[in-house]
Amino acid sequence: MAEVTPPPGGESPAGVERPFPPGKYPVIVVGSGPGGLQLSYCLTRLGIGHAVLSRDPAPGGMFRRFPFFQRLLSWTKAYAPAERGTRAYERYDWNSLLAEEAADQAVMVDLMDGTSEFPSRPEMEAGLLEFASRTGIRVRYDCEWLGTGREEGPDGERFVVETSDGPYRCRLLVLAVGVAQAWKPDTPGMELVPHYVDTRAAESYAGKRLFIVGKQNSGFELANGLLSYARRIVLASPRPARTSIETNSLVGIRARYVQPVEDHIMASGVHILSASIERVERRGDAFTVHTRTTDGGLALAVEADEVIAATGFTTPLLDLPGLGVATSGQSRLPAQTDFWESATLPGVYFAGTITQGAKGPQKYGIPSNSGAVHGHRYNGRILARHIAERHFGAQLPRRAIAPADLVAHLADEATNAPELWNQKGYLASVVLRGADGGWHDEGILPLAHFADAGGPDGIGVIVEGDPQGVIRPAIYVRRAGNVEEVLLDPHPLHDFASRDHRHALERLVAERFA
Amino acid sequence: MMALGTTEKAELLGRSELFEGAPAAALGRLAERAGERSFADGEYLVRQGQAGTGLWVIVSGSARVVRGSEELSHLGPGQFLGELAVIDQQPRLASVVATGPTVALGLASWDLFAEVEKDPELAAAMLRGLAHRLRQVIGEAHH
Amino acid sequence: MADSDELIDELAKLALFADLDEPQLRAVAHIFEEAWYAADTRLLRQGIGGSGFYVILEGEVAVVIDGEERARLTRGDYFGEVAILLGERPVADVVAQGPLRVLHLAGQDLHSFLLTYPRVTYRVLVEQTRRLRNANRWRR
Repeated sequence: MAEVTPPPGGESPAGVERPFPPGKYPVIVVGSGPGGLQLSYCLTRLGIGHAVLSRDPAPGGMFRRFPFFQRLLSWTKAYAPAERGTRAYERYDWNSLLAEEAADQAVMVDLMDGTSEFPSRPEMEAGLLEFASRTGIRVRYDCEWLGTGREEGPDGERFVVETSDGPYRCRLLVLAVGVAQAWKPDTPGMELVPHYVDTRAAESYAGKRLFIVGKQNSGFELANGLLSYARRIVLASPRPARTSIETNSLVGIRARYVQPVEDHIMASGVHILSASIERVERRGDAFTVHTRTTDGGLALAVEADEVIAATGFTTPLLDLPGLGVATSGQSRLPAQTDFWESATLPGVYFAGTITQGAKGPQKYGIPSNSGAVHGHRYNGRILARHIAERHFGAQLPRRAIAPADLVAHLADEATNAPELWNQKGYLASVVLRGADGGWHDEGILPLAHFADAGGPDGIGVIVEGDPQGVIRPAIYVRRAGNVEEVLLDPHPLHDFASRDHRHALERLVAERFA
Repeated sequence: MMALGTTEKAELLGRSELFEGAPAAALGRLAERAGERSFADGEYLVRQGQAGTGLWVIVSGSARVVRGSEELSHLGPGQFLGELAVIDQQPRLASVVATGPTVALGLASWDLFAEVEKDPELAAAMLRGLAHRLRQVIGEAHH
Repeated sequence: MADSDELIDELAKLALFADLDEPQLRAVAHIFEEAWYAADTRLLRQGIGGSGFYVILEGEVAVVIDGEERARLTRGDYFGEVAILLGERPVADVVAQGPLRVLHLAGQDLHSFLLTYPRVTYRVLVEQTRRLRNANRWRR
């Protein structure tokens, strides 16, 4: 029988098989997908006591079900420009969670069967399970979050988290519940249409005329997966579809799902429409979808045997909006500070894909990659440190950087830091200048925070990509509270530690910090 | 006095900051719509308080800019008045009176509207010109 | 949703889009993205490039230069076009004063938008002129 340790900070009796029985915890994390797992790993390493609750029976979050047909859109490269086992390698492995010990890093690489750099869904699920068990992450599974409240405790205000196992209390609450709740618009007749989440086995669509509402990646995932079964596929939504190749970012239809676009161009059975859905009618076994084209407003009725609403998801925040968590947009994403705290209800934080709601500067209108594992895993690591320092008085050491090493450090970060490359234009590598003129490494921080929050003199470096696809480093110099932006040159092989780059950095540092 | 040809009119109009960078074809079409007018000594080119209906550029002669009884400045050949009024038709802030025989080239707001609708590049150029001027003015006010 | 009749009605009431007919309003609603920001979010940052064009639907922003508030903008007002048109960085911070709902267009899409909708461009021209008049007045 495994040794049972009492829950950290718990007031309830020890000796229960499942960890984290109802009681009082400093922090409660809800969710056991990659967001919850990554945060829990980091909090544990920082010595911050916390409970992790999940309504699922096992880890994996949305990867326990989705995507349906295809491999993931994120790659893990067995062979990459950087050596495995280095920090720089993380940039080429978008699917593994972050760990301090080498044995726990890059879990996905060995787990994938080598036939593709894109993991299958079962491989991703297995990888998250493997990470959780290897690193000893404890989760109370089969414990469903049902509601939330606030009350006055002996040490101040705290949250009451109602669950299927009873009430919990905590000072800080972190929601890592995913943007996981199926959503359909209330268009007349849409109630007749199954949502993406209820898609059946591919073979059951053989020979059918299929109508897919929505042209985001979920719609194209279905179109791609059903291309060899459906007799005809119509995809429709008001806006035109753009591909990621066109936007030079991860915005738009990803390359893996572009086959239906080529089919549409060749008029080979796929039709991609820019049209709004006005109503859906059902007659016997068939549907009629009434659409209106976006340009010209032409009414078009489309007959179909199957209709699927690939219309997206919302954030399942239960009663938190009523408690004061402001949300917005179709996805009901919570409004967040730069450190992923609710902008309107302090003490509530977010981890995982929900952190896409903290938009950052969005230079050129390009969003962060916080919606995906390779983006939000870094957010989670930063959040853990932020919670430790801000709420638990942790004083984590900062590495001093000798003046002679400053430029080499900045150049190396710009060239190799996986955080900067996986979260272009969103996360910055920051060095701060002490009162004595010495530099120290402040680590990775959200760029918006460095640019807006003021603070000691320092330098932030990011990597950014513009809409034309040019990738370059950008330097942010903060002096006396003012921030100045300096863009450096691109490089054909993205070597931002080239002689020219280092000279530019040297001049910059010398001029501004004479 | 010889009437100006389209090319000369276009060249004159093109000197305004407003039309800096405007496509040559658009300037040509504006020039075709712009009309010359002669003013005798003491005649008003524009009156203070009247709705602005266009811009004028002095071709020859000169004019005084007067607000109430106060003389603000003089305008000579190549100088503009009403560059903002041609766009927003706000009431004239001052009167402009010819001193001696004066010829001016006028461009009416509605003629400018018509060209802008036809040639969006012209509007974009004008927007840039205004934005540039705005930046300059703001910059001066804060330094 | 972006194609909702409510949004179209809202756009129809804004001076900027007053000369557009219904199909054009529908098209405009799809060119822009509706976006929400919490209080104190910076939409434009003084000295930092890559900013966009914004039209305010609900809420208020403050225009701040060198730490001093210069103006307030509210429903129907827009900002960001000067930096994009000139290809320069914004000279002001624009900061949400409360929950803010806007239409947003990425900078690189503004030019083609203005070319496609000359009546909107004309309105922007008139507004720019008004701003220049006001700015000139401050100088005297």
